[in-house]
Amino acid sequence: MGDFNRRKNEPERLSSGGSVRQGVLTLALLVFYIVLIGGAVALLVHLVEKSHIIRPENFPTVMRYSLLFRQGLAVTILLALTTVIIGFILAILLAVMRMSNFRPALWLAKNFPNVFGFFERDAQGLKRDSGFLYQVSQFNPLGFFATAYVEVMRSTPVLVQILIIYHSVFTLVKLPTFQMFGFIAFNRFVPGMVTMGLNSAAYLCEIIRSGMQSVDGGQTEAARCLGLKQVQNLRYIIMPQALKNILPAIANEFVVIIKESAITYVIGVQDLMSSVNAVKGATYVIMEPLMIAAIIYFCLCFPTSKLIAYFERRMRRGDVR
Amino acid sequence: MAMSDNIIQVTDLKKYYNHGAIKALDGVSAGIRRGEVVVVIGPSGSGKSTFLRSLNLLEEPTSGSIIFEGVDITRRKYKDPQTGKMVKVNIDKHRQKMGMVFQHFNLFPHMTILDNMTLAPIKVKGTNKAEAEEKALALLERVGLRDRAAAYPIQLSGGQKQRVAIVRALAMEPEVMLFDEPTSALDPEMVGEVLDVMRGLAQEGMTMAVVTHEMGFAREVGDRVLFMADGRLLEEGAPESLFIHPQNPRLQDFLSKVL
Repeated sequence: MGDFNRRKNEPERLSSGGSVRQGVLTLALLVFYIVLIGGAVALLVHLVEKSHIIRPENFPTVMRYSLLFRQGLAVTILLALTTVIIGFILAILLAVMRMSNFRPALWLAKNFPNVFGFFERDAQGLKRDSGFLYQVSQFNPLGFFATAYVEVMRSTPVLVQILIIYHSVFTLVKLPTFQMFGFIAFNRFVPGMVTMGLNSAAYLCEIIRSGMQSVDGGQTEAARCLGLKQVQNLRYIIMPQALKNILPAIANEFVVIIKESAITYVIGVQDLMSSVNAVKGATYVIMEPLMIAAIIYFCLCFPTSKLIAYFERRMRRGDVR
Repeated sequence: MAMSDNIIQVTDLKKYYNHGAIKALDGVSAGIRRGEVVVVIGPSGSGKSTFLRSLNLLEEPTSGSIIFEGVDITRRKYKDPQTGKMVKVNIDKHRQKMGMVFQHFNLFPHMTILDNMTLAPIKVKGTNKAEAEEKALALLERVGLRDRAAAYPIQLSGGQKQRVAIVRALAMEPEVMLFDEPTSALDPEMVGEVLDVMRGLAQEGMTMAVVTHEMGFAREVGDRVLFMADGRLLEEGAPESLFIHPQNPRLQDFLSKVL
């Protein structure tokens, strides 16, 4: 039993011809990196020394507003986290709706065969497998709603969605005006959070659904044959396997949420992007605060994606012989 | 209740696709008695797998009835013989009593062998963990795989996987075992170890329905052989008579090719 975690030795891959090619490749990559980094440095030097678009002497001025950046960062993180939670819960709900077996016409046919039996069986008493009435019997209103929702949310820009929801729903619903933690305007933050959550739910739903469908059909058959209910099948068999398949896509979506949350500044959410705006208004410099925001966003997104990649590798380990 | 000794009684079972353009099953009637080993043979595309998969409703039949332990499981409701009330057919309940073994094993790859075996007893039957594990280990012992309990399915050979799949089904203490071409995906040298397990089960008196291409096994272990072609049951009988004196020309042709 002790040997089951042993990995197979990596096969010997580098022959003598291969190592020459490997060397050339490495060299090419090195040259590429040098050109890339050199170009970036040259551009930076030009911006600073020649065209004076970035002025280093402005940074101390901008840093006087570092409190704004810290508060903006807090709002961005809070917004991303709440969005992910709302989005994920809604997405699971939507995915389950899309994959549910809620078929009212078929239910009627099965429970009142004398009246509605024609939905399920034809005149000869045979079960339908095609045709208009078959389509009607298979119609799933929950699935239809979820599909429509996903398609609408994915086919319209998040900027349009956020403005529509802010100016319609949150004009009707008057939120109390108070400051959370003393600096987050509640009546701006909540509409931003809700819209971002609704939007990412559509994308996450597609990811979850494709993940569940990527699990081999034989798994469900085996589970149902053992007497597991459909819910138990999803919970113990399908979801754990699907999650492993979709982890990279979810990680990507998390990173996208962090970046997309910048759009909420149009409705006055005081996130990182709105701190940039505030600093610009106060100091009349724009490039320097933007650079700072870019660096902060990078420091949020890059480690997040790396962290999830690490967990992904760890989960894979169960698969390796 | 003339057929009361039949644990499964199938009557005029049909499975059509595309409005009857494809008839996977075209009116099959057959019974399986308690303790009997029924082997289903036939050319590929004859509907034998569809027939077996219909028995626990993995395929929903187009029409016909399947009476399992007195209950027509193709219906939504049935009349309880004791109370006389209409009761809903709970297919999950009936499926527990029918163990199924697949061609491609269908072990759960994200669980250890032991977890594969104890999941259903714990979650469906409510057996406590220690008891379920003890029973699973005893079953694994029987098929010589007790030392692999902590392994994952990917670490096993095909024959080992199929032996695990069989005892996983047995862990639910089914009344009937259904085998859907259990050796077809195996390397030749592994077929024997799986057939040995099945032979042992048959000797213990397990009711079995087996779809297979292993004619030797059909002849040796089968109590009765069903020959299917084109979605119909063309001939059935004891293996000696069916293999030695086949009546139907399709069966004669089939046997001349496979024997």
